[in-house]
Amino acid sequence: MATKKDSAKRRAVIVGGVRTPFIRAFGALTKMDTIALGTAAVKGLLSRFPIDPERIGGMVWGGTILPGGVAVNAGREIVFDAGLPDTIEAYTVTRACTSSILSVTLAVAAIERGEADVLIAGGSDSTSNVEVRMPPTLVHKAAPVVMSAKSTPVDYLKLLGKLNPGKDLKPSRPSIRERTTGELMGESAEKMAGRNGITREAQDEFALQSHQRAAKAVADGRFAPEIIPVTTPDGETVFADNIIRGDTTLEKLGKLKPAFAKDGTLTAGNSSSLTDGGAAVLLMTEEKAAELGFTPLAAFRSWSYDAVDPKDQLLIGPAISMPRAVEKAGLKASDIDLIDIHEAFAAQVLSVVKMLGSKGFGKERLGLPGAFREIDPKEINVHGGSIALGHPFAATGARLITTMANEIAQAGKKNALIGVCAGGALSAAVLLEKA
Amino acid sequence: MDDILLSLSGNELARSTVKKLGLPLPLPQVLKRHQGPFAAQGLDGLSVSVAHAAGSALGPALASLLAREGSETQVAAAPEVFAHYQETGEAWGRKSAAAELSDECEGASPHALIFDATGLSHPEQLKSIYTFYHAKLRRLAACGRCLLFGRPPAQAETPAQAAACQALVGFTKSLGKETGKKGATVNLVLVEKGAEQAAMHLAAFLLSYASTYVDGQAIAVGAQTPEPKSLPLTHRLSAKTALVTGAARGIGEAIARRLALEGAFVVCMDRPQEEDRTAKLAREIGGSALSCDITDPAAAEAMLSHLSARNAQLSVLIHNAGVTRDKMLVNMDEGRWDQVIGINLASIMRVTEALLPSLGESSRIVCLSSIAGIAGNVGQTNYAASKAGVIGYVKALAPALARQGHTINAVAPGFIETQMTAAIPFATREAGRRLSSLSQGGLPGDVAQVVAFLSTPQSFGVNGETIRICGQNFIGA
Repeated sequence: MATKKDSAKRRAVIVGGVRTPFIRAFGALTKMDTIALGTAAVKGLLSRFPIDPERIGGMVWGGTILPGGVAVNAGREIVFDAGLPDTIEAYTVTRACTSSILSVTLAVAAIERGEADVLIAGGSDSTSNVEVRMPPTLVHKAAPVVMSAKSTPVDYLKLLGKLNPGKDLKPSRPSIRERTTGELMGESAEKMAGRNGITREAQDEFALQSHQRAAKAVADGRFAPEIIPVTTPDGETVFADNIIRGDTTLEKLGKLKPAFAKDGTLTAGNSSSLTDGGAAVLLMTEEKAAELGFTPLAAFRSWSYDAVDPKDQLLIGPAISMPRAVEKAGLKASDIDLIDIHEAFAAQVLSVVKMLGSKGFGKERLGLPGAFREIDPKEINVHGGSIALGHPFAATGARLITTMANEIAQAGKKNALIGVCAGGALSAAVLLEKA
Repeated sequence: MDDILLSLSGNELARSTVKKLGLPLPLPQVLKRHQGPFAAQGLDGLSVSVAHAAGSALGPALASLLAREGSETQVAAAPEVFAHYQETGEAWGRKSAAAELSDECEGASPHALIFDATGLSHPEQLKSIYTFYHAKLRRLAACGRCLLFGRPPAQAETPAQAAACQALVGFTKSLGKETGKKGATVNLVLVEKGAEQAAMHLAAFLLSYASTYVDGQAIAVGAQTPEPKSLPLTHRLSAKTALVTGAARGIGEAIARRLALEGAFVVCMDRPQEEDRTAKLAREIGGSALSCDITDPAAAEAMLSHLSARNAQLSVLIHNAGVTRDKMLVNMDEGRWDQVIGINLASIMRVTEALLPSLGESSRIVCLSSIAGIAGNVGQTNYAASKAGVIGYVKALAPALARQGHTINAVAPGFIETQMTAAIPFATREAGRRLSSLSQGGLPGDVAQVVAFLSTPQSFGVNGETIRICGQNFIGA
């Protein structure tokens, strides 16, 4: 994606963003799938930022756990379920944990090249509704009988006789394993901790910072404009996140057992949790915002999507994407006010931060004369991150963009650089700037 | 392929039984072989020990290569050289530790022991090589690699420097004979000034399991052929067209398959008698088949029209077709002589010259020579003459090709397990197999790996060379 600093005749701005509360998997939001969570986010967005629905030019949605049996294009279903006009077109994108970074920048690009004046973008994921897969051996044995119109009850009985209950009927446990390496994401992050020399103490300290800052943001009401209440199918209304532990201590975190390797450094405390949630943002041209009486929060200066080798360091990508986004913006690292890095694991954030400050990495892998920028982990993620808040995969990007857009507007900052890592050894970075 | 000793060696129980009983059977190491196309990070997680003699030139280049390839490195070098390793190691998240020349290797058995001797100016400094390998060799992993770098003796500035440079050759060849029983190989890269980066591509190949049967070789890397614009790490021959002569069987077939694996469109050429096999191979690897006798004066024309009919520009040409017509010279009829020289040498020259003007950018030509062309062999005056001729031809043509961005090289296989060698009488065959440092025959795939490397853009520094693929065969070494 080319830098838009010269070509931007039309400039897209974010006028508002919201998210559902982020709830640990198999909690209060269990009965809501990815579409329902997305619907809740979009309805909440339109209640906070009311707009004549006829003005909405379309919707770009992100999701990773898509209810395939129900509908493939979750975005379109959200249009229906949110009661929006049937004439609003919608599509769904998936790029692992950067899905709603992608949905937002696709919408921004569409607005800036004149395809639409107003678009909704966002993402949602219900990790409580990961499809439980039956073994392919069962599918292969059963399909000829089940799919054939000519099958008789005798055929079904014969099929039953052929099944091996131990093998064919055992559902596989859903997990976030890399298809190429077979590694759990935490195992990959554990490897990164070892290779980049990130200690358990440093990870716990960073996790503590995440929880303390998130708890403070909640207590100060900083997140209140960003979170909309959600009423579940059971009639329960959920108002707040439930993963943040403001009262945790280094001592408590230090007692947790390693989660991914026997002598490992990653624990449940310094990793993000499986989470349910959705997030949505309202995007439009500056002119349209003025016409409709919205106050723009931020604009999109540049972005970068990148990929590395999954067999190497799966989640190191933001260390490449973030400098590239800054370069595309024609800025220097020192020009950046706010830095927010998605916290899949403290080990991964600290690895990325270390590489951004590494002279060797700058020279070998970024083609810079030296390090991109020395960063103290205390400088980044001013309101905590995914470790404390949770990480509903495809909702995280839109959450980060919303929080940073509000931060630019409220704190009077020039810009904010967001970095997100993703499965498949992907990464993304977005540079927001003052509207 | 029925190498009984090798299958015994691969069987844990048989191996320990032979050892316990003290049977006088040499059990060759089962060799590790790289499968599939060339990969980025070929040294992922392997431990490597490296030393740089004072004043050596490869510090930055090797530091970058080893970190990129994914190895964890112990470095005996001056602090300013070690700093490069720290920097690149950090960039790729790979550990590098400072060590002394005389330190034993710590941790896992090292996959490779690398010595950069490009700074040697006097034989007195050879002692550092002794110290390094003496301390570490015992722990070298099975199928490990020893790799040395030196300057070409011919370019030495003083006789003393030439002596030191030439000494590396003797050292390499002797060390290879010592490590062969482990399946480990020893090779030397002679790096001309200015070819430091080019040498790293050859080094990556020699350090990998793709170079399995290349042992005891001194290979020069020069700076004459310019670096190609693009050096893709995977699918290195994508969008390139290759032509392999004699592709229907054996080594030729292995080469065609290997080049296709690397992404090339392969024109498989062989005699009309082999039409069925050639066509089948071409179908399997998504290439095309060309039935044509290489000795036909119109062969080059047929090749050109085959290519232009497919709108393809040739950038990899493999002269593999060859025959043997063995007889003692006194008994050899004229026909045998003419046929062997005609196919193995004259047609290579004729076709090369005809195709040269139409070759694509950064083209690669590889000719099959043979150790018979280096060492000679009873009953093979014709064959050895033709194969030695090939060596002379590539050496002489190389400078002209370099100016056009191309390279031409030869490979000289030793004892390779093929249909042809399976027909050799048992005793002779056993001798052929065992009389090498690795005590076993190579596979057609081993030759194909080297040919594949020489076909890639990465091989630009290697030009006019003949690389033996012989497990350091004792004949002609």
